[in-house]
Amino acid sequence: MDFATSRPGDFSRLVQVLPTPETTTTHQPHGVGESHSATSFVETHGTTVIAVKYKEGVLNVADRRATAGMGVMYDRAEKILALDDHTIVAISGSFATSIQMARYLRHSFKYYSRSQLQPMSLEGKLAELTRAISNNLPMLLQGIGAFIPVLSAYDLEADQGRIFFYDGMGARFESSEFGAAGSGSSAIRGSFDYIVRTKKPFSEMDLQEALRECLILLDIAADLDAATGGYSKILPAAKAVTRDGVLTLDESQMTDVLRQMEDGVLGAIPPVRAHRIDADSESI
Amino acid sequence: MYSPYDFNQSIAHRAEYVEERLKGGAPVVGISYDKGVLLLTVKRTQRKIFEIYDQLMYSAIGNQADVEAVRLAAIDFAHAEGFQRSPDDVSIQRLVGFAISPPLKRSFGDPLSTPNVLRAIFVEMGKRPEKDVFFILNYDGEFSTHSRFAVVAGRDASELAMHEELEKYSDVPDLATALQRAVAAWRRGAQDQPAATDDDADDEATDRASTEDIPDPLAQALEDGEIEAAILERDTSRESKFRMLRADELKDVVATPANANS
Repeated sequence: MDFATSRPGDFSRLVQVLPTPETTTTHQPHGVGESHSATSFVETHGTTVIAVKYKEGVLNVADRRATAGMGVMYDRAEKILALDDHTIVAISGSFATSIQMARYLRHSFKYYSRSQLQPMSLEGKLAELTRAISNNLPMLLQGIGAFIPVLSAYDLEADQGRIFFYDGMGARFESSEFGAAGSGSSAIRGSFDYIVRTKKPFSEMDLQEALRECLILLDIAADLDAATGGYSKILPAAKAVTRDGVLTLDESQMTDVLRQMEDGVLGAIPPVRAHRIDADSESI
Repeated sequence: MYSPYDFNQSIAHRAEYVEERLKGGAPVVGISYDKGVLLLTVKRTQRKIFEIYDQLMYSAIGNQADVEAVRLAAIDFAHAEGFQRSPDDVSIQRLVGFAISPPLKRSFGDPLSTPNVLRAIFVEMGKRPEKDVFFILNYDGEFSTHSRFAVVAGRDASELAMHEELEKYSDVPDLATALQRAVAAWRRGAQDQPAATDDDADDEATDRASTEDIPDPLAQALEDGEIEAAILERDTSRESKFRMLRADELKDVVATPANANS
């Protein structure tokens, strides 16, 4: 049979290249196509994403805004994406490359586990993400298409949630408690530390407490960063990754937490309802 | 010189060679149920039911290497298509009809290569049970489509018996009922096998087949094997809809005696 010889689970070889937008190499004559050149093109950006550990795994919270220059491109952007039953990625930076990257990784993880009959290891998944980012370097150097993901995973071997963040070239860092990316993240970076030092580590909080801290942090980011959406009109999105699968936090339930924050009531913590996606208990 | 006569002879010999090797294959049953689709078989050591894509799964009887080659080719095609277009464009019709069947046929017609020993079942889960599609793909590239259920077995007689068993029902079962029916059909398929061994059937075997006291083929198969069953779930929000059934989910059907369904 003239089927292609087996590629050991490497999806990038199957689709030939990692998905980066094609860079323009054609020479443009002076004065022509000026309005279409990279310098005047404004790409859409995702803004603030937050990841914190909590007792059962990792919680991700993100605003819903996507901006293009000074304009709001979209107010219902979904920036926390489940890659598989135990991995979620929160994206910031170029929306186009981020979404394509998430699509690529989702296929890549599934391709590996289906063809190799075993799930890709966490290390393998992280390396795959590094590869996707570093492959995007030519775009980064041209000034567009840079994206910075925060990857949250539930490590089944270590039985704990883990947070990884990256720089634009693909360097990977692991965070012990929290991670944040996007334009609003620098405004709140110190606040994470403040919470850990004065209240308690995020990893000791339950889901409700952690959600509340994240929503406050996001609110501060929205106050200090013009590109970060608040939640007067549209609620932020929240997902968590746990041993048993991915939780998508119920939007309507978040309003209770938000209302309490507005009222300044800090005592009682309302329960959070979430939609659970159970993981396959057999690994594949 | 290679004449048309030789060609016919060669094809006939190859078919005979393959059929001979497929005879011993343990049947695979596919049934569509209300919340998904089910594939069930009995395996000895090697896994036999595989996930191909979000809404596709596959199983086959035959030579391990050939089963594996078709599996990988199907996964490659499905993922490349699903990524470059969309998961909705990966259909069983495109997969089997255009990506798998033609190379299989070419390889079967090539007198200088070893023929592929394989009979495969592909399943595509639809939004509703009526939309589920089964494809049976033969070693020579021939394929047929089925709805509600489909089976593959080593012999035509076994497949006929299994069809007969499953055609008794016209409703859409739930998973527990689908498992019962699949096991009943599997029994029929495995049972009819010894009777069809006409060439070297000795007197003893013929005697046994003629009496009602035939040992339960499932119980026999489970002595050195186990039931393998997998489902695609229609309504799950998980990234993968495919799931192998756990031993505790299969406990009840294994325990059901052979005559419970007849």
